[in-house]
Amino acid sequence: MDLVAGRVYADERRPIRHIDGFLLLVTTILLLLGFILIYSATNQTLRLDRLDPFARVNRQMVTAVIGMVLLLFMATFDYRFLKVYAGFIFVGVLLSLVLVHVPFLGSSEAGAQRWFEFAGGAGGLQITPSEFAKIGLIVMLAASLSELKRDTPTVQDLIRICGIALVPLMLVFIQPDIGTSIVFVAIAGGMLLVAGVRGRHLGALLAISLVMIAAAFQLGVVKEYQLDRLRAFIDRENTPADVRYNLDQAEIAVGSGGLFGQGYLHGRQTTLDYVPEQHTDFIFTVAGEEFGFVGAVFVLTLFALLLWRSIRIAFLSKDPFGTYLATGVAVMFAVQMFVNIGMVIGIMPITGIPLPFLSYGGSSMLVSCMGVGILLNVHMRRFK
Amino acid sequence: MERSGSRLKILAFVVAFMFVALSTRLWFLQVLAGPQHDRDARDNSLRTVATDALRGDILDRDGRRLVHNRISLEVRIKRDELGDEAEATLAHLSEILGVPAQELGEELDTKLFYSYQPVPVAEFVSEEVFFKVREEPEKFQGVEVVEQSVRSYPQGSLAAHLVGWVGQINAEEIDDPLFAGYGPADLVGKAGIEATYERWLRGKPGEERFLVNSDGEVLREFDPRPAEPGHDLRLSLDLDVQRIVEDELAAGLRRARTVFDASTGRNLAANAGAVVVLDPNTGGIVSMTSWPTFRPSWFVRGLSPEQDHYLNASEAAPSLSRATQITYAPGSTFKPFVALAALKEGLATMGGYYDCPADYVHPGDESGTIFHNWDGVGAGSLSIAQGLKVSCDTQYYQWGSDFYFRDAQTNQEELQRRVKQWGFGQPSDVDLPAEAAGTVPDRKYVTEHRARYPDGWIPGIDILLAIGSGEMKATPLQVAQAYAALASGKLCRPHLVSRIEDGEGRVARKIGGRCRRIPYTEAELNYIREALRSVTTGGTASSVFAPCSLDVAGKTGTAERPPFQDTSWFAGIVPAERPEYVVVATVEQGGFGAETAAPIVRNIMSRIYRTPCEGPALGEAED
Repeated sequence: MDLVAGRVYADERRPIRHIDGFLLLVTTILLLLGFILIYSATNQTLRLDRLDPFARVNRQMVTAVIGMVLLLFMATFDYRFLKVYAGFIFVGVLLSLVLVHVPFLGSSEAGAQRWFEFAGGAGGLQITPSEFAKIGLIVMLAASLSELKRDTPTVQDLIRICGIALVPLMLVFIQPDIGTSIVFVAIAGGMLLVAGVRGRHLGALLAISLVMIAAAFQLGVVKEYQLDRLRAFIDRENTPADVRYNLDQAEIAVGSGGLFGQGYLHGRQTTLDYVPEQHTDFIFTVAGEEFGFVGAVFVLTLFALLLWRSIRIAFLSKDPFGTYLATGVAVMFAVQMFVNIGMVIGIMPITGIPLPFLSYGGSSMLVSCMGVGILLNVHMRRFK
Repeated sequence: MERSGSRLKILAFVVAFMFVALSTRLWFLQVLAGPQHDRDARDNSLRTVATDALRGDILDRDGRRLVHNRISLEVRIKRDELGDEAEATLAHLSEILGVPAQELGEELDTKLFYSYQPVPVAEFVSEEVFFKVREEPEKFQGVEVVEQSVRSYPQGSLAAHLVGWVGQINAEEIDDPLFAGYGPADLVGKAGIEATYERWLRGKPGEERFLVNSDGEVLREFDPRPAEPGHDLRLSLDLDVQRIVEDELAAGLRRARTVFDASTGRNLAANAGAVVVLDPNTGGIVSMTSWPTFRPSWFVRGLSPEQDHYLNASEAAPSLSRATQITYAPGSTFKPFVALAALKEGLATMGGYYDCPADYVHPGDESGTIFHNWDGVGAGSLSIAQGLKVSCDTQYYQWGSDFYFRDAQTNQEELQRRVKQWGFGQPSDVDLPAEAAGTVPDRKYVTEHRARYPDGWIPGIDILLAIGSGEMKATPLQVAQAYAALASGKLCRPHLVSRIEDGEGRVARKIGGRCRRIPYTEAELNYIREALRSVTTGGTASSVFAPCSLDVAGKTGTAERPPFQDTSWFAGIVPAERPEYVVVATVEQGGFGAETAAPIVRNIMSRIYRTPCEGPALGEAED
């Protein structure tokens, strides 16, 4: 065994040497920024209720620590094991999506059956299976796509892949959770794109989805409040005040930030609690109001770096399965970021998608961390 | 895998597009529209509650109060503090106020106020209500009883038309840029000097500002800006004279109603009248009144249906000021100004004599129109002064006719131009709202009112104008202004307010008459004044003034006003030697000037100068 071969061997045996430190750094900065924003969004309200102003941030930190553990776990074993167990993972995810509809197991809010509640109450742990289903779907699609015989998937391949994606999509859609459905569609679409599906096939898929969306509206599957949100987006002037309120307050918050922001903990809208759901779906308003255009662009830059690394990893991977995995994760981040921030600043309708790493909330955070773990994994083991 | 590489580039491109879209939108939202959103954020969280400023007082020339403020208790409801017990609270409130709870509920259902602004539901409540609400705050959550200042009129109905009234701002006013910064419950001057000097009287409302969160909880209270009280108005009005004037006008009208009017076959109606007392040297209004009248205090609590009908729907129209808002033909009181015009334009001289026949026919007129002298009798040949003394009409018809011919040559409208020099035909710019301008019929007027002048510009217009008749119209104030100019040689803007003072009595603004000389020589003016003096010593008003030792230069006037009875006029200057007051009285359907108006003026002068007259206050039927 010559020296060079020994080096190569050592490299292959110790993938930690190829860890994407930059991706890890960006992720860490995003997590820390999340704490800062969540503290600003929640401390005044907690104070008014005579609660610990750090209560929410502390909880988020605990979640982040669990997330980091999950991230590292997802990076340790060879990602190709995921391909082996893709079927199991996928079935498990589907099962949880079904179980969440069982009344005494799943919890609901505003008529949507979305999560499992453990240890009950506000301090308890909520698991939202649809979040984890994103990872399950990415893994399953990556496994299926990487097994295709030809470089360009045939129509049969396409139908099979779409069939796979459609099952969790329908389950999430009927919860109803349109936001997550959109993410599912985007993940599937993005991965099919990278898998080399012909342009006209992609076009046909798009047409079919449009027909299905129209059908969903016609058949009354789409709930009234969802229609209201859509109307609010299309025609802001003539929407009911309560629907409009959220959009208006978010826009005022971001807009009043100006170029440099009102200063940390000094945003009027933020400190006076004018933006509903500010610490969760509307967390970006804190950055916009208190740090201004400069701060908002800084946040965008962090996401841009994250996505650059993700796509780069997909590009670098020598293994189609790795490429598809990284693509799926990249699309997941990109769509969530775009739809969330776009909704906050009024160029997308309200859908209720959390902003990765920044929004308060357990499942979203854990899934985002898992996504980064997968990316790191693919990057470390890209040579094989 | 090459394919997936190129496809990844497409993906990267799509992602890059997302960032471009988001950054562009952010730039628009935060940098371009930033200032607007900043204001919106401020409006969101800053609650401003205006506190009322104390309205200024209105004082007479000696500082006696005509209008001031007193405290009334007002019940207000803060809707956002009513809580879940709203119905119970309204029920309790209805019990102590004696107002149905349903009515209170309706009052609350208003869009005039923001939800955080207290809505007034009852005014002038007793102190008992105040104590009940204070003793049981748990029953009256969101209810407050606050002191509210309201207008008070210690002189009763005195000078009602001058003072005017205040009322709640209406929907039109609140949209008017003139009333920018007014709240929906604010009081504004609606008539009289309350309206003219609104911006001085009002003061500057104070402001209490709070920072509130989205639940409406007050997080911080900023230093309040206290209200600045309004300015006080010091009038040229003399309360003593005003009392005399109102008293004598009412008495004169009562007297006139006992007089039989031969031309209509019934007693004089004397249904309305006005008196103006001016200081000829400054233009200050010493007194002014209009009858019928009303009480400004009616408006404080809101009009009762009877009051509302009387003020706004009755034929009496008591809210109209006959002194400034209604015009009448001035009749013979107009003659001095025509005489001066004739002098100035060379139609007559001070030494000349002019025929005063019983009738006058315009030369060349074939329509058969005959202009009669008022008494239907001729008086031979008279000087200008003698003509004024007996109020000869036919002399003036002749001058009117002469002016017509002069005008036909020069096209200069000499007569109209001359009489306008005394303020006729244009608003006097008195500091009272809705002043009538009056009319001097000239070519322009005739052209604009074709229907009234089917024959166009004819000699009759000038002939009637010469005796202050026909379409010639003036307010009593305009006549007083012209006589004041005759007395002093200068035309002054009549004004009621002489100075505006701040709360400490410091003068914030002095208001003068902006007097200017009139283009007549002292000799000419003196000649006319002497002529007018003879009116009270041996002329048409001599029977009225004979029993008095007053030195008065004056002129009677009787203006036809078909189908009504004649308008009775008298304009007097006292003392004629060194004029201090000009007193003008006008009585609608009051008959001859010497009959009704002259006695009113005589009695007013006699009481001002405390020189009792010995004869009865009834004049004779003379123009």
